[in-house]
Amino acid sequence: MHSLRELQLDVMQAVLDARPELAAPYIADRGIAARLTLDVYANTARSNFTDSLIASFPVVRRLVGEDYFRQLARGCHARHPSISGDLQFAGAEFAQFLAQAHGAGEYLYLGDVAHLEWLIQETLLAAEHAPFDPAKLQTVPPNDYDALVFRLHPSVRLFTSEFPCVAIWQANAGDAEPPLIDLGSGPDRVLTIRVRGQLEFHRLSLSEQAFLEALRAEESFAAAIARGVEGGGEFDAAAALRRFVLAGAIVDFH
Amino acid sequence: MPARAGIGLRATHHLRVLAESPAAGWFEAHTENYFADGGAHVEALSRIRERYPLSLHGVGLSLGSTDEIDPAHLQRVRRALLRFEPTLVSEHLSWSSVGGRFANDLLPLPYTEEALRHVSAHIAQTQDFLGRQILLENVSSYLQFDCSRMSEWEFLNGVAAESGCGILLDLNNIYVAARNFDFEPQRYLNAIAPDTVKEIHLAGHNSVNFDGRELLIDTHGTPVCDAVWDLYGAALRRFGEVPTLIEWDTDIPALEVLLAEAAKADTVRADAHALAA
Repeated sequence: MHSLRELQLDVMQAVLDARPELAAPYIADRGIAARLTLDVYANTARSNFTDSLIASFPVVRRLVGEDYFRQLARGCHARHPSISGDLQFAGAEFAQFLAQAHGAGEYLYLGDVAHLEWLIQETLLAAEHAPFDPAKLQTVPPNDYDALVFRLHPSVRLFTSEFPCVAIWQANAGDAEPPLIDLGSGPDRVLTIRVRGQLEFHRLSLSEQAFLEALRAEESFAAAIARGVEGGGEFDAAAALRRFVLAGAIVDFH
Repeated sequence: MPARAGIGLRATHHLRVLAESPAAGWFEAHTENYFADGGAHVEALSRIRERYPLSLHGVGLSLGSTDEIDPAHLQRVRRALLRFEPTLVSEHLSWSSVGGRFANDLLPLPYTEEALRHVSAHIAQTQDFLGRQILLENVSSYLQFDCSRMSEWEFLNGVAAESGCGILLDLNNIYVAARNFDFEPQRYLNAIAPDTVKEIHLAGHNSVNFDGRELLIDTHGTPVCDAVWDLYGAALRRFGEVPTLIEWDTDIPALEVLLAEAAKADTVRADAHALAA
């Protein structure tokens, strides 16, 4: 007599790894081959995983077409099966899977587009936060600014790519026929944020990117300024602070 | 929960529900679809909850698994309960994961004493954590395990008695199992302890042919069939007025189609009530 755990491990392998022979000995004969009834569950598992990827990566799907997208989803499911009861996380490895699947070939940009789509999804599902309160900052003596740690809005994500992924995303996110985009017109350095329910992109200089990455890592204002200066080019810390407060990207400090 | 039938809430209908406040008795949402910290769907459900009673129906806790319950998932369920304050909370009498891998499908359990004790302990753990009773739904199944030592209805009654959970009786799933495994669905209904049934699901199914044998598949993508409507009348006579939901998860139709199915459920309920009087 097998234990419940042994049964479940064998059935799961049958369903996810196409090994019906492992589960067949457990299944009562009712005139339909066990591999066929197990296939019903295997198909649903793949279909639910694929549907989740379709919801998370509409632009990649449009770029590669329906058939190839489903082939990619199937490959990703085999390589990176779901590890959560919440399918929202099913696509967490898809960008990496695409990057590995296409190596250094002409479709290398697909992995970056998938990564951008994943960050956009995170932006759209992040928590709300009240806007920055300027009056609160006025209570801080200017000499103490250096030690402040500024907090980014929960929906802020930072994205970089050598390819023009934002332009590709914008061209393919709607129903219109997308224009041709020069893959050499990158690189992209952008901040994504949700403002009043709407997705916004803000392009960043190298210095601003370094500055924001420091804020994201909860470094002090002084350390973030130093990172911005090291980032290259001229860096105006006061202007950067003003820009990202007005954009809703910086919402608080402590 | 009102006696009037509810419908399963899908994102595609959020805007119309908010704009038109249709005549549905209540809505049921998949818990996991509203796990996010924020965003449009969470905002929509919060606003819909202000107008309608709500049930949260989970698909991802995998209560029958021999893995431990995912504490992060359970925590998110609790957060959803605090956020949306549902009247009913339910999950499935099934497993969908083991060894850290998830099929994200509702796999049947073997009906053994070991499985009964195991899933009952997980349900009790969940109820303790959430601080409330949950309902367990019977799932459709396409295979049976040789090692089963009791019927599905004996297993379901046993789990309710052992864990203290209520039962969400899916009549389409009973019908699908009855056709797939050759038993009378009325036998299932007659065996279920009446006071444990707190919610009923009505849905549609599809049929496929394998090796010359028909297998019914629970697609939740078609109207409720006549035989399941008949079963619903019988269930109302046995269990009394129980909150009833029209469930439709694939090939989701226009809101009017779901509202028409709910209206039909209301008519069946009124007829059963008149007959009883």
